[in-house]
Amino acid sequence: MKEKLKKLGSFEWELDKSARPGMNVKAKIIANKAIIDQVEDAAVEQLTNVACMPGVIEPVIGLPDMHWGYGLPMGAVSAFDKDKGVISSGLCGFDINCGVNSIRTSLSADEVKPKISELMATLFRNIPCGVGARGKLKLNHERLDEVLKLGVKWVVDNGYGVKQDLENMEENGGMAGADPRKVSDLAKRRGMDQLGTLGAGNHFLEVQSVSDIYDPKFAKKLGIKEKNQVVVMLHCGSRGLGHQVATDYLKIHEQAVKKYNISIPDPQLACAPANSKEGQDYFAAMKCAVNYAFANRVVMTQWVRESFEQVFKKSWEDMGMHTVYGIAHNVVKLEEHKVNGERKEVYVHRKGATRAFPEIPVLIAGTMGTSSYILKGTEKAMEKTFGSSCHGAGRCMSRNAAIKKFWGNKVKEELLKQGIVSQATHPQVLAEEAPGAYKDVESVIESVHGAGISLKAVRLVPLGVAKG
Amino acid sequence: MERYKIIEDLTSDVMFEAYGRTHAELFKNSALALLGVICQIDEVKREKSVTVEAEGDGWKDLMFEWLQKIISTVDIEQMFFSGIEILEMREKHIKARISGEDADPSKGGTLVKAVTRYRFDLWKEGGIFRCRVALDI
Repeated sequence: MKEKLKKLGSFEWELDKSARPGMNVKAKIIANKAIIDQVEDAAVEQLTNVACMPGVIEPVIGLPDMHWGYGLPMGAVSAFDKDKGVISSGLCGFDINCGVNSIRTSLSADEVKPKISELMATLFRNIPCGVGARGKLKLNHERLDEVLKLGVKWVVDNGYGVKQDLENMEENGGMAGADPRKVSDLAKRRGMDQLGTLGAGNHFLEVQSVSDIYDPKFAKKLGIKEKNQVVVMLHCGSRGLGHQVATDYLKIHEQAVKKYNISIPDPQLACAPANSKEGQDYFAAMKCAVNYAFANRVVMTQWVRESFEQVFKKSWEDMGMHTVYGIAHNVVKLEEHKVNGERKEVYVHRKGATRAFPEIPVLIAGTMGTSSYILKGTEKAMEKTFGSSCHGAGRCMSRNAAIKKFWGNKVKEELLKQGIVSQATHPQVLAEEAPGAYKDVESVIESVHGAGISLKAVRLVPLGVAKG
Repeated sequence: MERYKIIEDLTSDVMFEAYGRTHAELFKNSALALLGVICQIDEVKREKSVTVEAEGDGWKDLMFEWLQKIISTVDIEQMFFSGIEILEMREKHIKARISGEDADPSKGGTLVKAVTRYRFDLWKEGGIFRCRVALDI
């Protein structure tokens, strides 16, 4: 399928709808040539599968971090007509609202480095992470339902965050229309004791320092004023609750495909008509998982603050530890976009893709030991990608292969040589997540910047990383 | 006959094949394959047990529901498991006692979010029951 890609520019490629039978719309990929050369042909083909779905709006988009996924590649965006299109749990992913929060400080790297080991150990102790980690918050059904309905508002009202956290987040940390009645009891039981836990895998907590400021005016608006300023980044999602919501509705959507006679080229694109009960029930349940994940990250933000207080013996307010922004990169949104010259509401499905609205921060979490970025969304993103950008760098090596190739303690040593202190639940985690197991994030960032869909504002390098 | 093996088909996720001379053995070995991804199964002691049940439309669907049930039980009970004892087994229903200990992240493996339908299959070949499972991790 890749051989049919037509180059539109240095960072833009197009697949015409004649690329294969059944395509209703074109597909587009935002990427430099090096990424196009490496991307799996199967992932490109997956874009064309989505282009065959009913009510899909042109184009189906692959972003530079795209890699093969279930149904739709990770690192992809698809939009559907509000009335004639579908909503698909498969096009959002299992980890609903996997996303990133960034917290700035007024500390410099010079102040933090002498205490980085103590800081990382304190963070690791205070924030449950890893497979099987127990949450510190004990919710009952009623309180959990409130979290699902309100998201970060519940966190702030209950003293686990502050109003500013809510104000500096996508959707203000809570999507309206979340209905806990649409979330199964099983999903709630899975998530009941996991609020305030980091998870595992590629999820992490990282203490970073600003290495480059490309857009000083935008950075200043975010409270990032100078190089070596210390920032903290949290990357995690909706935990077992979100995973179960996705699983539950994939099953419902598999039945809906038969019920509504929807033609899909891949069973993993299970979906339901947007206005059907199955479509709207998923949307309402997905919003609950979104809100849970937003709340999760802000609860942990407060524990990050407390950890800094314990180590630096100052209040977090005195250390200026405010939320820079919080984003989701697996989500379905009903948004207004220009379609064939007129503004209309569409269901945008972002699977490993970040909202990149004009002048709004786009947070890109790098993989362990590599840079992360804060970018700025643009009007061009609204024109080209339904206001979307990348989310990170994908894997180039399986976990199994990484465990065989890398030795956890050696990875720890190598990171330390770069000045990065790592904490992990066990050495295998470091091996699985070794920098060599991932693609190059710099190439991804170059592509979105070059295409103009999100522009580099700040580059961050790790000082310490905690992983589950 | 090996109990299961990891298939190197997916870069971002994990796929395994499990085997059994009977359906019960297949279901047991599939569960062990899954648990071997979730935790360091050889380190997990069998200190306490939980009874789990699953229903499905047939063997293949039952396998899907069985493995999903194990994933959710790990979260709900906050335990890792290393022992599987099948108590009841029919084409549309399974009941088992799974044994393990309170989850300790230092004995954790990889976080499994869900079983996927990607190349998911259950079949008999060469007199052996087999299944192929891709996990979203």
